[in-house]
Amino acid sequence: MVTLDLAQIPVRDANEALRAAAARGEDIEIVNPDARHHLGVGLVAPVTVKIRGSAGYFCAGLSHGARFEIESNVGWGVGDSLYAGSVVVGGNASAIAGVALRGGEIVIKGNTGSRAGQVMKAGTLLCCGNASFLAGYMMYGGRIIILGDSGERVGEDMSGGAIYVGGKVQSFGADAKLGEMTPEEDADIRAFLNKYGIAFEGEFQKIVNAGTKLRYGVNEPIARPLPYTVAEGTYWNAKVAEDIHAKAMIGRYRIRGYGAAKTVPHFNDIALKIDPERIQAASDALASVNLKTKLGDRSGAKPLELSMPVLIAPMSYGALSKSTKIALARASKLAGVVENTGEGGMLPEQRAEAGQLIYQCLSGRLGWNIHDMLKADCLEIYISQGAKPGLGGQLMAKKVTKELAAVRGIPEGIDLRSPSRHPDIMGADDLVIKVEEFREATGYKKPISIKMGAGRVRDDIKIAYKDGFDFVQLDGMQGSTGAASTEVLENMGIPTLAAIQEALDGLKEIDAGDDMPIVFMGGVKDGVDAVKALALGASAVAMGTAALIAGGCISCMQCHVGNCVVGIATQDPEHEERYKIDVQAKAIARYLEAVRWQIATLTKALGYTDFRQLSRKDLVALTPEAAAITGLPYDPDYFPVEHLLTEVA
Amino acid sequence: MCGIAGIFFKKAETNPTLGQALVDMLDGCQHRGLDSTGFALYENTFKGLRLRFIVDDDAGATVARVKAALAEQGAKLVNEKREGASFVVEVEYDGEIRPFAYAMEHAAKLVSIGSALDIIKDVGTAHDLDRIYGIKSIAGSHGVGHVRLATESEVKPEAAHPFWATGFSDVAIVHNGQITNYWKMRRRLEARGFEFRTDNDSELIAVYLADKLAQGETLELALEQSVDDLDGVFSFLVSTKDGIGFAKDRLAAKPMVMFENDDLVAIASEEVSLNRLFPGRPLSTTEPAPGTFRTWSR
Repeated sequence: MVTLDLAQIPVRDANEALRAAAARGEDIEIVNPDARHHLGVGLVAPVTVKIRGSAGYFCAGLSHGARFEIESNVGWGVGDSLYAGSVVVGGNASAIAGVALRGGEIVIKGNTGSRAGQVMKAGTLLCCGNASFLAGYMMYGGRIIILGDSGERVGEDMSGGAIYVGGKVQSFGADAKLGEMTPEEDADIRAFLNKYGIAFEGEFQKIVNAGTKLRYGVNEPIARPLPYTVAEGTYWNAKVAEDIHAKAMIGRYRIRGYGAAKTVPHFNDIALKIDPERIQAASDALASVNLKTKLGDRSGAKPLELSMPVLIAPMSYGALSKSTKIALARASKLAGVVENTGEGGMLPEQRAEAGQLIYQCLSGRLGWNIHDMLKADCLEIYISQGAKPGLGGQLMAKKVTKELAAVRGIPEGIDLRSPSRHPDIMGADDLVIKVEEFREATGYKKPISIKMGAGRVRDDIKIAYKDGFDFVQLDGMQGSTGAASTEVLENMGIPTLAAIQEALDGLKEIDAGDDMPIVFMGGVKDGVDAVKALALGASAVAMGTAALIAGGCISCMQCHVGNCVVGIATQDPEHEERYKIDVQAKAIARYLEAVRWQIATLTKALGYTDFRQLSRKDLVALTPEAAAITGLPYDPDYFPVEHLLTEVA
Repeated sequence: MCGIAGIFFKKAETNPTLGQALVDMLDGCQHRGLDSTGFALYENTFKGLRLRFIVDDDAGATVARVKAALAEQGAKLVNEKREGASFVVEVEYDGEIRPFAYAMEHAAKLVSIGSALDIIKDVGTAHDLDRIYGIKSIAGSHGVGHVRLATESEVKPEAAHPFWATGFSDVAIVHNGQITNYWKMRRRLEARGFEFRTDNDSELIAVYLADKLAQGETLELALEQSVDDLDGVFSFLVSTKDGIGFAKDRLAAKPMVMFENDDLVAIASEEVSLNRLFPGRPLSTTEPAPGTFRTWSR
């Protein structure tokens, strides 16, 4: 038994010592914990950890296989994303006990705070006292046992699993109902109580999902939609009529994939102050312009190394087929850039193919676990997406196959609507504790980035800076999505150019300098857009839609349906079979090489040898709107240079 | 976005550990906000009224303006002190507080007026403030404190918490959260003649509560109504000359933990702050239920 005294050493040292002792198979005792956060996070070893006192937030979080015993109380999120093992708390647990539980057993001898077991997937959470409101909120599976009373709205929007309440139920949540309890279930619960030496004679009420909200009632008619060009210039046009007809049939908002179709000021509306004659002379630029860069060492972590300032934008296995994710991973490695898991977990094939991989953590914690965290090159906290800021992901039932549901830890065949916010990130103050949890769990070795959709960018970017993120991925409304309501897609986001400018202004207001890199995304089509973004102040850009189109996407905007004819936005094996991984991976890689050449050529044509020399001085606005948004000088005498690049090539 | 802490000593009128306790508690949750820190301390040692102002770069001119305004208002200057970013005066004044406060605010940024209350707030951590203002050595009956991570407004001393209930003697607030019906509530109060110095929702809560107290309501009743009237997510602590209280919204999105024994009650955003008062000892703490409030006074 190793004893660690937190009156003598900081938590970070204690966690390291704990991991070292666990690796030797030794049990650990922690004295003077005094409610400090992050005790034992990321521990992956079958040892016993005894905490002599109270623990703070995320105690035993992201661990696998250990047995934790905490004598007194715990703060928010005890056993967060626990994979296997056990946690026994002698006192009370604060909010979101057992959040995102993926397996294992959590026993709280006292009371639990609000939202116990939020988005849990499997395992058992036992509360021996009373549970506050929203127990089992949005749970996908597993079981919650409450021996005392349950607060308001128990089982709100649960889609799987069961909640057993021994005391009074104050009220049921939306889409929760009383279920039938079998003698086997009852015996199983009592055996579980026995195992932990807990006496309980009363009867249980079982609460399960009522099944009224798992699917959209009426499906949209599947038809090839009219192109958006028919909407140009007129008011009561065919596109408007199409929308009215569809809504008259389904009686709700419509859903589609892809990005905003509305025209807003974008990279086309700014130009590089470039002498056309210099482009010709710069066509050999690849050899003479430095495009290599690093991302993510602000806090001393091992940075991502990029052969050029380009990343693959986050897109999920789910929205996209496994084959597409593999092709993107392979292409990213060929091009020396970085792939991103998006929502919904990491595929082993994707990890193997990608040179460097960013692993995203979203609100539903779908497929989020310590093992894949350790395999990732960078961890990313997703707050929102440019196409639908403030809303969670949507994945229609057709795509929620058995295999996909297993990776995400959810029931198959539901219209999956991810939570709009994280269970444990209610503000900047909680976020800083979450970031620290991930750093503790992975030994401060991995960069931690934040993906934010453009909303209140000026404020949000300051929070990202102050909360210590290594870099930011900022996404504007022209970014695409696998599925979202059309109202949201067209009307809610902030245009990418405006988002970029607000981010830069926000950082300037707090004198942040160049300390925190920003990756811009949301409608970056090619190397020309990339150069403009870099000149505006980006450290790199990310491309999603462009990479998909390079790999065979036909832009039909029906990504949400699940019947993608080219095998990209589908989980149907027959459709996916049409997607040839090797062919498309090479196509995507070739496109990335074209982007590289464009960036190098334009950089050289502007007279530079390194993309970091690009600046706002190299840009003008071609329209008054773009000038007003960016503050660039309005000068319509310049013109886009794309066609010149084509001629040279 | 922040962390809050408060302590109320049940027995002693003046406890020598007040400042030390609040510095320890705020240091415990400093990770919740590193931009600025503040304390509202109730000392019961003033002769008349204490006024604390923030002085900018041109301190000499500000001090002169304060003194001229005091003379104009018929307040007799008894003591004065420059301290960190602030200028502190003790005055003898018998008139109405609200017109006096509004008049003084035109002279300089007024942080607090009190016959027991002193609000000390500045950019930096709890320990930074202690070094400048000697917080640890301040004795008193109760107090509240705040660490702040600035999100929507700038990082400067006057934007730090606690907030004084502008125009009301000895009422202060520390708040973690966001009041979403801020403008509606503010317009109602402004229509009745109240002035606001900032766009900060915490100032609004302070004025809202102090107004009710001035109308003769108890702190308990004022807090009960605040849970209904305020919309948003919040956990706040309010302090008056006689005691402290808390209120928590129905969503319970912002944390609050408390510990109580025969000698004191301590409330904070996180248990780690409470444990700073009793190192090495597991505490029997409770979390206030959503939508609840409570007060302690002597």
